[in-house]
Amino acid sequence: MTPILELSGLSKSFGGLQVIQSLDMTVGHGEIVSVIGPNGAGKTTLFNIISGIYQPDSGEILLDGKTILGSSPEEISNLGIARTFQTLRVFLNMTVRENVMAAAYGATKTRLWQSVLRTPSARREEEQIKRLAEEKLGFFGERLMGYRWDQPAYSLSYANRRRLEIARATATNPRLLMLDEPAAGMNPAETHEVTQLIGRLREEAGYSILVIEHDMHVVEGISDRVIALDHGEQIAEGSFDEVATDTKVIEAYLGYGAAKTK
Amino acid sequence: MEFFLQQTMNGLTLGSVYALLALGYSMVYGVLKLLNFAHGEVYMFGAFAGYGVLTVLGGPSALIVPVWLVISLMFVASMAVASAIGVALERFAYRPLRNSSRIAPLISAIGASFFLQAAALLLFTANSRSYDAPTLIPISSGVKVGPIDVWMVRILVIVTAAVLMILLTLWVARTKTGKAVRAVSFDREAAAMMGIDVDRVIVVTFLIGSALAGVGGVMVGLVFGRIFHLMGFVAGLKAFTAAVVGGIGSIPGAMLGGLLIGFAEAYTTGYISSTFQNLIVFGLLITFLLIRPSGILGRPELVKV
Amino acid sequence: MSQIGVDQWVEQSGDRQEQYSGWTAPARRFFDKVRPGWRLAIFLLLAGIYPLLISQSGVRIGITILLLAMLALGLNVVVGWTGLLDLGYVAFYGFGAYFYAIVASDQLPAHWPTWIAIPVIVVATALLGALLSLPSRRLVGDYLAIMTLFFAQIFVEIVRNFQRLPGVSEDFDLTGGPNGVTGVEPWSLFGFEFGTFNRNYYLLLVLLDLLIVGLHNIDNSRTGRAWRALREDTLAAEHMTTPVNRLKMLAFAVGAAIAGLTGTIFAAVQVGVFPNNFALVFLITVYAAVILGGLGSIPGVVLGAIAIAYTPELLRDPGAAGWLFYLGLLALLVFTFKKPIRLLAATVGLVVFGLVVRLVALGVWDDSILGTANDNFFSRLVDGWVLILGQNQDVISNYAFVLAVIGVLAVIVARGWWKVAALVPTLYLAILVWENKLALQPSVTRQLLFGGVLMVMMAVRPQGLLGTRRVEIT
Repeated sequence: MTPILELSGLSKSFGGLQVIQSLDMTVGHGEIVSVIGPNGAGKTTLFNIISGIYQPDSGEILLDGKTILGSSPEEISNLGIARTFQTLRVFLNMTVRENVMAAAYGATKTRLWQSVLRTPSARREEEQIKRLAEEKLGFFGERLMGYRWDQPAYSLSYANRRRLEIARATATNPRLLMLDEPAAGMNPAETHEVTQLIGRLREEAGYSILVIEHDMHVVEGISDRVIALDHGEQIAEGSFDEVATDTKVIEAYLGYGAAKTK
Repeated sequence: MEFFLQQTMNGLTLGSVYALLALGYSMVYGVLKLLNFAHGEVYMFGAFAGYGVLTVLGGPSALIVPVWLVISLMFVASMAVASAIGVALERFAYRPLRNSSRIAPLISAIGASFFLQAAALLLFTANSRSYDAPTLIPISSGVKVGPIDVWMVRILVIVTAAVLMILLTLWVARTKTGKAVRAVSFDREAAAMMGIDVDRVIVVTFLIGSALAGVGGVMVGLVFGRIFHLMGFVAGLKAFTAAVVGGIGSIPGAMLGGLLIGFAEAYTTGYISSTFQNLIVFGLLITFLLIRPSGILGRPELVKV
Repeated sequence: MSQIGVDQWVEQSGDRQEQYSGWTAPARRFFDKVRPGWRLAIFLLLAGIYPLLISQSGVRIGITILLLAMLALGLNVVVGWTGLLDLGYVAFYGFGAYFYAIVASDQLPAHWPTWIAIPVIVVATALLGALLSLPSRRLVGDYLAIMTLFFAQIFVEIVRNFQRLPGVSEDFDLTGGPNGVTGVEPWSLFGFEFGTFNRNYYLLLVLLDLLIVGLHNIDNSRTGRAWRALREDTLAAEHMTTPVNRLKMLAFAVGAAIAGLTGTIFAAVQVGVFPNNFALVFLITVYAAVILGGLGSIPGVVLGAIAIAYTPELLRDPGAAGWLFYLGLLALLVFTFKKPIRLLAATVGLVVFGLVVRLVALGVWDDSILGTANDNFFSRLVDGWVLILGQNQDVISNYAFVLAVIGVLAVIVARGWWKVAALVPTLYLAILVWENKLALQPSVTRQLLFGGVLMVMMAVRPQGLLGTRRVEIT
């Protein structure tokens, strides 16, 4: 069975700086893969390449066996890859529900003139998007329900904005969900919740998930497989325990020689 | 050949003025990432300040002090008035909007530009004024370069502009404040964290940029004669594009861009049509913006995520 | 601004209910209670009976207001919803107006029937808008602004010098050069000619109504949401299946089409078009309307258009202008001071200051510097207190103007009693300049006012009168 995402020989450099070096990796259907690595290892750049912001210098990206190289972010999101951002990018001045509804643009068909005249089909589709948004928001229990639908997104707490971003990403109806540090800036209780949430996203909604995460508790709790990057190169791959005890990984995080003294 | 050289001379003169104006746009854009639409009006007020000095000292034909002193005083007055307006703009129209959306200071800048235009219309009426430069500095006082006569005023303009630009370059490269300006252009937040007083740097930037624009205003008055309340608008548009063509935020870029626009305009006027001079220059600029928005000496910006 | 684990919305819910404070609160709460449909109905009712109560010149003003309202709504699509700074907007209005003027006058051998001309013009303007939006793929923010501004300049230059364009014969003067096109026929549909002010007024009212409904529907559709999403964060929107380039193009096209349509009626009402109709002044007017009312809000933009279109009419009439100015001053005085004692001190100070200045001035010179007051209520009231100048009027009031502007800036900076100290001479100078200069030059005063509105609104209330405050990522 072909993996949902397959990267081979991916390289990218900015000026003289090699950010990603001939990287090979795969994400299987229904798999949760974590990417770890120290700051500057190229994790977010990897996400930016997959989601179409940057074009790689060389290499191949296959989504379900078909190349997505050269596609724009919009096309890629329509093909079934959705992502969140490390630096929260919700639509601050739109309501919570609108944020999620906006992500359904690619899946809807109402033309401008139909919207102007509010034809029956336009109304029907509008209702559908609304229900879809409410359903996606319902995934987070009571957190983003009811009276919060009509709040502007800027009024949400940090953790709720992270949740909203995930809800918005799922509204694009993706096959592969890419989460960029979903637990960043959260307290231990919220972090624990995120761990469970990511599990549920796979179990209940069936997404394949690629996660960048620094919090090792989260990584340990969710990952089927962990990939460690350093200086754009893959330095280890395997289960959490294998990667966590890998000499190279410890050295990448703690410096050369750290593994020996341990 | 002679005609060509004449147009080149025109281009060089015009280009010097555009370069001075473009520097103001470029420096302000560097530190604030703001297109200061009112910069052209600052230049216009500089021109009128020069005219005021000229009138007070007896007018071009009945000067009560030597010519060199008059012209120096005109430059000083224009710099003083222009930088006062520039600093006031920064303090009252832009600083309150430092942390709002990108569109808000732009709209404020358009408002300021329009307000200053109207103020000039109120103060100076819609009639244009003239420095009457040929009376001030006789045309015959020029030098002969090859086949063409170069009028003294033009030499004065080109040399003054060149000196100012060299001083500015040295200032930015050598002095502490100059380095601070570069640091703020590069990354305002980081500069603030390194202990640079960002507010002061921004004020200094406006001060210098506006003073250069004021000088530019007097130069235009000296070379081209007519000054009027709308002169800043189109000149400002062209100078901003000069800054963009050169690479916005880059000081040598602004100088280069200014000269290029000056030449483009002079040759267009000379060889194609003076009616459509603006049209052709704008057309060239739009094309340039589309092909290389980062300018000749600018660096393309990376998308930050 | 965000604190982990604390939900600010809940925390601030009390404040939010109280957010309408001050004297406008009851009106605004009432406004919120009325549903959009009813608001429109009330507006239509009032606007519908307006021409019945007023003279022809009043209807003419009504037409100006409706034209500006339509234009402002179109601009709002591009600037308010999509967040693209389009400074070439007036050129679309001009394009529509010139296009209609040319096909509905003797510029061409045959006049086009209205039912053909209007759809063709609207589509052509929309295409032009889409074309101009192409650079917005690569240019954002300031570059787009400057490019569209060039476009507006180029448009005016072309219509002014059409004859001299390369490849155009001398005899073929399509746009009439600086003289414009005259003798434009009114709209005529199914044998019904919109030849009078009243008919054009109602035509505009119907169109505005349709436009409001249509735009309201777009705002609540996938397109409206996508526009707002790309305004908020273009990159994020692109990652959420939004074709941002197509939507930018659509926004430009919709805005341009509305401007083009409005232009046709403008040409018909004015019975002609001239290059100066589409100068920078008018662009600022449309922007002032959108900004004053509130970027993004349909009722706000309409309200802004009413205020901005009506102001010049008020300024033109010296009596009404006096009311506008002095009531404005009074409002400024009242809102500047929270403590009544300072308000009182400022008022008394102002009166005394005026008398002292008068005494000193008449002591140094003599009565011969005085001129006659303008002939209206307020001017007669302040005559004998403020200096109404005869000779040297221009010179003195020029200095007074500059000092007054500096005074306003000082008032903004000053705190406490210093504010009072700065305000007294500033107000005096303002009145002096008004009586001696501004009241006599309504068109300059209007320009100063509109430029000032843009600056002040951005600093004080960027959301405009009826908009909602926006939060920005910093």
